[in-house]
Amino acid sequence: DGGAGPAVPAAPGRAQVFSTVVDTFLEKLVAAGSYQKFASCYHCFYKLQPQLTRSIYDQFVSQLQSSIKEEIQEIKSEGNLEGLFDSLDKIVEEAKDREEPAWRPSGIPEQDVQSALVPYLLKHRSYLRQVLREKEEENRKVAESVLAGRNKIVELQQLIQAHRQAWQ
Amino acid sequence: MSVDPMAYEAQFFGFTPQTCMLRIYLAFQDYLFEVMQVVEGVILKKLDKMPGCKISPSQVRKCTEQFLLFMKDRFDKLFGKMEEMLLQLVLSIPKNVLLPEDKVHEQFPYSPEQFQALQEEIRQLQLQCRAEAAAEQALRAELEEQKVVKAELEKILQWFDDLEKIFREQGIGSLQESLAFLTQSSKKLQVVLKEVEQKSEKLKLRDKLM
Repeated sequence: DGGAGPAVPAAPGRAQVFSTVVDTFLEKLVAAGSYQKFASCYHCFYKLQPQLTRSIYDQFVSQLQSSIKEEIQEIKSEGNLEGLFDSLDKIVEEAKDREEPAWRPSGIPEQDVQSALVPYLLKHRSYLRQVLREKEEENRKVAESVLAGRNKIVELQQLIQAHRQAWQ
Repeated sequence: MSVDPMAYEAQFFGFTPQTCMLRIYLAFQDYLFEVMQVVEGVILKKLDKMPGCKISPSQVRKCTEQFLLFMKDRFDKLFGKMEEMLLQLVLSIPKNVLLPEDKVHEQFPYSPEQFQALQEEIRQLQLQCRAEAAAEQALRAELEEQKVVKAELEKILQWFDDLEKIFREQGIGSLQESLAFLTQSSKKLQVVLKEVEQKSEKLKLRDKLM
């Protein structure tokens, strides 16, 4: 291992903790169901066949362990638990600097969905503002032309009037 | 004692943690019973093969029950601890954590009132846009009218100009001048005519006297 680097041992991820907790459970269960306990319950048989009792017990332990381990494996793969655990670890790590409680669904979907709509509404609003601005500017120019046109017409009318009078 | 429904965790995992733990509990329990059944079966078979054995099946059954009861008790206690640890450490979402899919609630924490205000603002903008469009239509309509009117007025002016051009080309100068000239000319003509009349009268008289 060449790099010295800031190698801080990371806290065990959820997947690791999950496995460890289950393994510990199994260990303790098997320890509780010890051979002594087994033999003392099946005392009459143990007296008759001690070696057989031992062998049956060993099979009992191994069978129980493999069934349980298999079940855990199935549950993990079915729900993609390891993947979920890893993502959750990442998400939690990213939030580690924030202290305040985060948002949680209010239980009223209509209300919660409003926030999802907000970005679109904001875009829509800024689009409308821009369109309005452009239209107002355009209309201002057209209004100027209209006023100029009116003045021009008055001018022409006055010219015609002047000509008419000259012909009187 | 209130039960935490862990709905947010369910949103993330696709199942509630409690359901997951229950499923595990039932499965493990089943295996325990199953294995014990097998154990009992094996013992009974072995006893069968042993002649003169004084152990009855019901005795074996009692042994099994004894062991099983003990195991179940331990199992429940150990499972309880395991469940607590898993729910706390692995299957829960800390209070300060927001799932990525909910980011929008952090970015845009709009209360229902703020949301309504935003919608209202947009409604107003839409109305204003419509008003501007209507104004544009009216303005452009007037521009079209003005075009027509201007064209008519310019035609009239052109007519006046053409008329005056004709008069100028004919060397008559301005209309007023021409009219004045005409009037003068006709007056002069009248004078000349009178003179010519008088002269011819004189001539006629002289002829008569000769």
